[in-house]
Amino acid sequence: MKRAGFNLLWLPIVLLAPQLVIIGVFFYWPALYAIRSSFYLEDPFGFGSTFVGAGNYIDLFSSAQYLKVAVFTVGFTGLVTFLSLSIALVLAVKADKIIRGTRVYRTLLMWVYAVAPPVAGFIGVMIFYQGNGPMTELLALFGYEFRLGVNYYDTAAAMVAVATWNHIPVNFIFFLSGLQSIPQSVKEAAMIDNRSGAGRFWDITFPLLAPTAFFLLIINITYALFDTFGMIDALVKGEPGNNPMTLVYKVYVDGFRGNDLGGSSAQSVILMVLVLVLTVFQFRVMDRRIHYT
Amino acid sequence: MTAAADPVLVATSRVRRKLSWQTIADHAILIAGSLLMILPVFAAFMTIGASDVDISRHGMQFTDGSHLAENFSKALFIQGGFTGAITGSTMLLNSFILGIGFAIGKIVFGMMAAYAIVYFRLRFATFAFWVIFTTLLLPLEVRILPTYEVVHGMGLINTYTGLIVPLVASATATFFFRQFFLSIPEELVEAARIDGAGPVKFFIDILVPLSRTMIAAIFIIMFVYGWNQYLWPTLITTDEAMFTLVRGIKQIYQSIDGGSDIPEFGRALALAFIAILPPVLVVVIFQSWFVKGLVESDK
Amino acid sequence: MSKKNLLAIASMALGLTLSSSAFAQTQITWWHAMGGALGDTVNEIATEFNASQSEFEITPVFKGTYEEALTAGIAAFRAGEQPNILQVFDAGAATVIGAKGATVPVQDLLSQNGIDFNIEDYIPGVRYFYADANGKMIGMPFNSSTPIMYYNVEALEKAGVTPPKTWEEFESVTAPALKAAGFIPLVQSHLPWEFTENFFSRHNLPFATNDNGYGDGETKILVNTPEIKAQFASLKKWKDEGLFEWYGAGWNDNQKPFEEGKVGLWLGSSGSFGGLQKTATMPFSATFLPYWEAVTKEPTQTFIGGAALFAMSGKSAEENKATAEFFRYMSSPEVQLKWHKQTGYVPITNAAYEMAKAEGYYKEQPAAEVGIQQLSLPAGENTKGYRMGFYVQIRDVMNREYGRILTGETSVDEAFATIEKEANELLERFNKTQG
Repeated sequence: MKRAGFNLLWLPIVLLAPQLVIIGVFFYWPALYAIRSSFYLEDPFGFGSTFVGAGNYIDLFSSAQYLKVAVFTVGFTGLVTFLSLSIALVLAVKADKIIRGTRVYRTLLMWVYAVAPPVAGFIGVMIFYQGNGPMTELLALFGYEFRLGVNYYDTAAAMVAVATWNHIPVNFIFFLSGLQSIPQSVKEAAMIDNRSGAGRFWDITFPLLAPTAFFLLIINITYALFDTFGMIDALVKGEPGNNPMTLVYKVYVDGFRGNDLGGSSAQSVILMVLVLVLTVFQFRVMDRRIHYT
Repeated sequence: MTAAADPVLVATSRVRRKLSWQTIADHAILIAGSLLMILPVFAAFMTIGASDVDISRHGMQFTDGSHLAENFSKALFIQGGFTGAITGSTMLLNSFILGIGFAIGKIVFGMMAAYAIVYFRLRFATFAFWVIFTTLLLPLEVRILPTYEVVHGMGLINTYTGLIVPLVASATATFFFRQFFLSIPEELVEAARIDGAGPVKFFIDILVPLSRTMIAAIFIIMFVYGWNQYLWPTLITTDEAMFTLVRGIKQIYQSIDGGSDIPEFGRALALAFIAILPPVLVVVIFQSWFVKGLVESDK
Repeated sequence: MSKKNLLAIASMALGLTLSSSAFAQTQITWWHAMGGALGDTVNEIATEFNASQSEFEITPVFKGTYEEALTAGIAAFRAGEQPNILQVFDAGAATVIGAKGATVPVQDLLSQNGIDFNIEDYIPGVRYFYADANGKMIGMPFNSSTPIMYYNVEALEKAGVTPPKTWEEFESVTAPALKAAGFIPLVQSHLPWEFTENFFSRHNLPFATNDNGYGDGETKILVNTPEIKAQFASLKKWKDEGLFEWYGAGWNDNQKPFEEGKVGLWLGSSGSFGGLQKTATMPFSATFLPYWEAVTKEPTQTFIGGAALFAMSGKSAEENKATAEFFRYMSSPEVQLKWHKQTGYVPITNAAYEMAKAEGYYKEQPAAEVGIQQLSLPAGENTKGYRMGFYVQIRDVMNREYGRILTGETSVDEAFATIEKEANELLERFNKTQG
């Protein structure tokens, strides 16, 4: 935190007030409400309720289905993060290396950032459509019958593909900017020290990019966990069936489709705790990183 | 060993030998990546030119575009709903109000809060920062029902305030501005104080102009984020005149699975395209600011 | 523009405001889940109701899927901003009827407002589905449908078979012939509805304890039975032999191959009729849902699907009167007949059914009558309906496990054990929400 600063009391309070009020009313109050609900089983219309203590949590942790969804979420998040980060890194390294056209490629590779996940999901449905989607037809040429919505793993693959596609641009922008901010002198020195291109990348460039990569790791994890909601809803066409789903989608399915307020709130609280852990972890590492650089 | 693999030689011969195999391979990879990004949306766009029956039968396709104008005009001007208030154009307007209102709200509140946290010696600054920061990663989706009740209780259903303000209740902008302010040299505030500038003057005359790029970048990020919201608008707008584009698409593709009629694929795709276009244009046109802002926030 | 003109316009505007305030209309709202062409018909009915009188004005609002409409209605009710009328679908019936005090029973609403109500006026299949344990009608049936079997006329001719009456006939005669003729013999559209709920009603088997869940107290599902397990074992076998195909849990993905003429027999909703007339590429007709001769020799009627309109509580007497008047209008034979003909949903009253017959509608469109005939088949003690809480999730569990059976990820025995276990856990949880 800064040492130099002003010694006024009323001004910072006035400055902070709007943000704190909004957050208090629209964030903390609802969040506390969700924590309270998670200990009850409540009639959705609000006529009856039973205090069940940790019952909702016990039900969740003893449910094979919930654990299966959690495992899928971890796998999905890992795959989307890994794929979108590594593809973006390759593209950024190449875009940084070439002499002409960097700006053109940057434009071509970044605009998908602005495509809303539900819209991406809708386009994904068309592309992977059973029978007549272009990707389905392409895979059929190789003798694979791709069946979105029927085969669990096919649907999972479509989800990973759409989410990766949707999230490459952000990673690309950060990596490219990170690469471009490496001083020319460092790059030249590296060229003299290290003869092989791959070795140079792993020894010099990658460590310099590591802070960016770490920041992106967190961004990607939260994207895959939360922002893919609309995309998944579009891909399964609102009918989960035997399709895979993520933890956030399950909050929606149980709370919104099923009106199970207690069970859904308990799931929300579990996610809140998860996010809190992630946040603290990120801050620990980020603060240390700021000291180093 | 080939010359291309020798880094020193490559470095020196870059200017002379533009067309090495290495360069061609690099461009090939970049072109492949660009195609990967473009083709899905391009295919969707081309399909808008087909009739609903053809799309329903054959899926995505390249067409002569004979239905392009028809599908776009349906998407923009067909009056949906009972009151006839849902047209593509009103949804477009609502999306702009949501995107811009959200971005401005985020920037104003975020900047004020970040300024208070970074530039004042406050005992509770760290606490305030954490209170705000905890909201950063927890999306509205997981606390949406209680939020809805709060907003409803305040009588804000079907108002732009109810649509925008609850979305503002997270700390992304505050966080970005905090990071940016921390990267500004301390000497600046010292110099300002020596010159006798008060905190308000320092904020308005020095900090805001310095943050211009940052503000622009955050505006773009937030505009895109606000524009692309859909679960909250779906819940909070019951008045048809308040619908946004992203919500409207959901409504149309839902009717696609109703099975009661020929699905309006053409209209849905046209609407999807209209929903994609403004945020994409904003990102592409202002990409330098956008990139600069994103990267500076990472400091 | 001259001063005179301005004055004229101003006085006209004044006149308009005056006249509209003189006839202060009672405004009511109606949240529904009818998208696309169905939504257009809903809007038409509302417009005509508004034009038919000057006291009341109804505004329908499309709220998304059935699930979204119910959730929006619940959230609004909790905030005291509920609509006057909420459309709730079959699987959500237990939620809305269980919350006593959330709605005004339609039977009370009508009689309080001096409108005659006689449950016998309604066709047998719709009378008690949205009723309470004592047979009092709570929700007004609106879009009612039932699963029937559509068939591709050309395909059956080519294969030289007639539509099967029983699943045994399908297995031994119809399916092999259709397959040999190059068609997919059978496709369905909603496994929990067509092969579970209506399996129990068609064969008059109990679906749940406690009078299919209508009684007070705890209910247990009776889904883990040899009869239904045998049916799903057959479905899996047929799929492996190419006699049955499944395109996932989405309705339309399963309807499309039939529209394209690739399928011989398709199980759909009687309400699919209106849409199929526009989308089918070949002549088609419909008949009753087949039954298993091995299970019963006396098949019974099926359950209605679709949704009902519920009058939400907490509204003024004038608004309730408007709602009652709208219900009267909506259930009148003329409106029901129009709804029936435009959408394919069954008419809910005998009077509307008689009117359609008298008009000769079924002479032109015999397939349009199948749904209502099937709902008028002999009733049994297990055919009036079922009432289970958290049924939306129970359906999701069924869909998940059925999908896993058909893709070979699980066995029939395991799947039904899981469904029974998870469904009973959900029922137990639901019971606690009422406490």
